[in-house]
Amino acid sequence: MVPLQVLVADDEPVSRTVVGAMLKKAGYSVIFAPDGAQAWQLLDNDDSPSLALLDWEMPGLQGPEVVQRIRNRPSQNPTYVILLTSRDSSADIVQGLRAGADDYVTKPANEDELVARVNVGARVVQLQMALADRVRSLEEALANVKALQTLLPMCAYCKSIRNDQNYWEKVETYFTQHSNVSFTHSYCPSCYERFVKPELEALEDARAAKDRQRRG
Amino acid sequence: MSESPVLDPAVLNTLRQLSSPGEPDVLAEVLKLFLAEVPPRIVRLRIAYAAQNIEEVHRSAHSLKGSAGNVGAQRMFDICKRLDEIGKSGDLRGAGSLVDALGAEFGKVEAEIHRLVEV
Repeated sequence: MVPLQVLVADDEPVSRTVVGAMLKKAGYSVIFAPDGAQAWQLLDNDDSPSLALLDWEMPGLQGPEVVQRIRNRPSQNPTYVILLTSRDSSADIVQGLRAGADDYVTKPANEDELVARVNVGARVVQLQMALADRVRSLEEALANVKALQTLLPMCAYCKSIRNDQNYWEKVETYFTQHSNVSFTHSYCPSCYERFVKPELEALEDARAAKDRQRRG
Repeated sequence: MSESPVLDPAVLNTLRQLSSPGEPDVLAEVLKLFLAEVPPRIVRLRIAYAAQNIEEVHRSAHSLKGSAGNVGAQRMFDICKRLDEIGKSGDLRGAGSLVDALGAEFGKVEAEIHRLVEV
């Protein structure tokens, strides 16, 4: 499996390097940003990393501001954001989570704790991706169902169906092409009476006539 | 009572074990960065204190605290933490002796790093 990509944004090179090394060791692919503005640039596009560790205090855009921008951007796969902070008062933590962060880790980061929290994020991201895939395939299925719900012109006499190319097809052909249905031919009780029975009787009569002839 | 070590061996060990195969040695890389990054920031802190720029004292002390914590420089971390709190409080009284203590402690950390690795 392709390793998940994590963005580490911190203006402090020592901290950035340590956190990056912890994540690389845990098997993640890591990209770096030295401030909030560059972090936002990397996050504001379609193939942005699915996980981000943002330092709280950075020059320019601070961590919580970057989170707010991420949350205001409509996206199919929202980024899982962990704030890195040496602030540990509960008021600060509440403020960070209110801004839209999913979690926070206090600095200096403890390796086991940091990796465990990032792993939780990775689980959430993978769940989101699996759900998005499922929704996509359901939407495709729904589109096919809708194609069968349109008004079908059918010949009142021979029951042929007019397809999109203005060509008359047999019912079997039309449905085989527009759905996963395949046909097996049988007969209903009234058609048995109307068509099959007379045919069987005719065969029986023919056989009896032949027998009579041979004997006679 | 013995003083706490200049650099916490447990933190150094963690850093040592972070190196992935084929990647540069994380401990050496981090210590090298630390030695390059910290001196200019201590100078900035001194200037900010001399100018009584509370906001800059707070900001510099805060970022130095982070760097010190990352390499396990516990005493340096404690000094920065107190400066960080003083900066936050907005009253710089008592900061002068802490700024001096920070300079002296960084000298010890620097010597210890040179003793540990070739940087």
